[in-house]
Amino acid sequence: MRRPLGYLAGLALLAASLAGCGASSDRALNQTLTALATRAPTAAASKPTPSRSCANAKASLRPPATLPAPDHMPAGSFMAEIQKQGYLIAGVNAGLYKFGYLNPATGNIEGFEIDLVDDLAAAIFGTAKNHVRLVALTVPQRLPFVEDGKVDIVVDAITVTCYRRTLADFSAVYYDATQRLMVPVDSNVQNIDALAGKRVCASAQSTPIEVMNAMPGGKRPVPVGMPQAIDCLVAMEQGRVDGISTDSSILLGFKAQDPGTKIVGPSLGDVPYGMAINKDHQDFVRFVNGVLVQLERDGAWRRLYVHWLGQFGAIQTPPAPEYDG
Amino acid sequence: MWVVDEDVTLEGLGTGVAPAGTRRRRGVRIGAVPAWVRDRLATTPGRLVLVSVLVVVGAVCFGAIATGAEQSRERAAKAARSQTEPLLVQAKNLYTSLSDANATVATGLLSGGVETAANRDRYLSDLVVASGALSALTQEAGTAANAQAELRTIATQLPTYAGLIETARANNRLGFPVGAAYLRQASSLMTSKLLPAADDLYTTEAQRLNQDYHTGSATSTLVTFAAASAIALILLLLAQWYVTRISRRTLNVPMVVATVAVAGVSVWGIVGLVSAQNALRTAQRNGSDSVEALSAATVLLSRAQGDLSLVLVNRGTDTTDPLDFTAVSGALERPGGLIAEISALAQRTGTTAAAERFRAEYAAYQSRAGQISGLENSGQLTTAIALAPASATISEQMSENLAEQIEAAQERFSRAAANATSSFDGLAFAIPLITALATVLALIGLRQRINEYR
Repeated sequence: MRRPLGYLAGLALLAASLAGCGASSDRALNQTLTALATRAPTAAASKPTPSRSCANAKASLRPPATLPAPDHMPAGSFMAEIQKQGYLIAGVNAGLYKFGYLNPATGNIEGFEIDLVDDLAAAIFGTAKNHVRLVALTVPQRLPFVEDGKVDIVVDAITVTCYRRTLADFSAVYYDATQRLMVPVDSNVQNIDALAGKRVCASAQSTPIEVMNAMPGGKRPVPVGMPQAIDCLVAMEQGRVDGISTDSSILLGFKAQDPGTKIVGPSLGDVPYGMAINKDHQDFVRFVNGVLVQLERDGAWRRLYVHWLGQFGAIQTPPAPEYDG
Repeated sequence: MWVVDEDVTLEGLGTGVAPAGTRRRRGVRIGAVPAWVRDRLATTPGRLVLVSVLVVVGAVCFGAIATGAEQSRERAAKAARSQTEPLLVQAKNLYTSLSDANATVATGLLSGGVETAANRDRYLSDLVVASGALSALTQEAGTAANAQAELRTIATQLPTYAGLIETARANNRLGFPVGAAYLRQASSLMTSKLLPAADDLYTTEAQRLNQDYHTGSATSTLVTFAAASAIALILLLLAQWYVTRISRRTLNVPMVVATVAVAGVSVWGIVGLVSAQNALRTAQRNGSDSVEALSAATVLLSRAQGDLSLVLVNRGTDTTDPLDFTAVSGALERPGGLIAEISALAQRTGTTAAAERFRAEYAAYQSRAGQISGLENSGQLTTAIALAPASATISEQMSENLAEQIEAAQERFSRAAANATSSFDGLAFAIPLITALATVLALIGLRQRINEYR
């Protein structure tokens, strides 16, 4: 009796050990699922800008009586540094049609603001060719890039405000935009009051949202914030919002891309654009203001405006520069 | 705790109730035995009848338990071979084709206003593969409620996605930047709804396959089988020992044959279970493990390529794409990450040449990606965009390389899984049949002895 029992016990043991060594392993599966579960980190939300008051946000530094000749920048000036560097590096917008946008057909960033950057480069180097580098920036990146010296200048539809003046210096105003309202072309809406309680889109945490929030209770629309202004055009094309309220410059670009839209109503506020420059480079601010005066005098500003934006509405005159120092 | 109560009588035990907190230790022996058994215990032929009954009960139990154990493993192995693994492959097809479609579109919109025909074809064939996998999964995935919800998400959102992509294309062709906004919306629909649903489906199918591997190689099944065999054999041997003792004959031929038959089918069963288990383990370790790791790499590389293109398309509008690219690269490269796992699996499966080629391509891809991001960060976006097709080409090579490796791994799986299921061949019939035969033989043997008393 002992022997067969012993064999059986041995057989059972063998079976158990074979079972153990043949056990499946979950390692590869777990590695795979962990790798696939990699989530995209979320970008930090931009902070709302604090309000600040000052005498005149639009006032900039007076240009020199005469501009230095191209390719002969005064020694020790920031322009001389740029010349040494070999290129002017500018932060720009890549999504504002005709203003500053990435042309899908060419892969180049083009537009009214980009030509202004080219003119600045030409004033330094004699020609813009091969002397311009463009970095497309998001709205929250614009001023930090100037403050950290990652770019020499930002020409990116920045509204000059008293608060922003505490972070960077600004050129004289180079474009006077206004906050306007856009609705579908078949809409009967004539002004923003008609959109009380309706969904009106603007880029998140932008001035237009604040303007809408400040409207009296009975007339207030429901502001819808999108990550980018262009997302508002998509939303309106898809019928998810009833209107868009933002800078006229942006709306002109929308209208150019979608004939099914129209700009209506009066201005809801002035939106003056200035070029942002690091506070350490006041000589460059004055130089830029000098170039802007020159562009106005020789009609170049107007030609640029007609070329890029003339087909979309009344031709603007260049903004009158204001100086305070 | 045992409380031995010597005063308890047989009669008392038969009718009375044991005092609280005590257990009846001795009473069960005789008191509970029915009169039918008690009568038979008195005579030798009676005892032989009882032994016959015991042998039948033991054989039926053995047959049932052994067949049950064998069936549970055979079902799992067959399910892994012809159901869950094929479904995993469909889920993988869905997942990789969706992520590849998204990357392809982003890359195509970068290449100027006119997308290349090859790029468009690739996007369209991705959609065809995705739709095919979707309908295959819808037919097969069947019951799981969460799988149904995920399938519904993909079925309803995929047309929306494709519509947004076409709007993006049309606007892009007109030179309108709103095309990039449509692409961004489509891409976020893909990454926030479609890909998570595909990921859930993939995870569900991978875990179902894993469950089959666990069931198909469960130690408990083998131990149960071995234990049932051992008990059946012990019963038969005890019966023979008893018969030998009362009849003074050394051998009862039918009973010996019965014992040998049960021992034979037990050994066959254990050998079958163990070899099936080993084959299943090979199917997993050399086959589906590689399929899983390589598919995950395909998905992550498409995601990286999508990010790389979207960084350029969304330059100045979205800062999350480069972060996602870094996160995805990390999941691939980090020590113990996916590439390390793929290398380890290649060592195991003897396919190191393909894995080395993949590593080299990946290194080339990353250096190209670094070059592109360096260019665009220093304001040379146009040059960066001009370089983008080169990175897309490497990415395409990598995904082709991975597809070949997946196919090879799939073949290894199929071969091993076929071995696993064929190890069970005949067992499902043999166990009950041979058990029944052995029972009859044992009863014949016992009947010979009983007849000697008539």
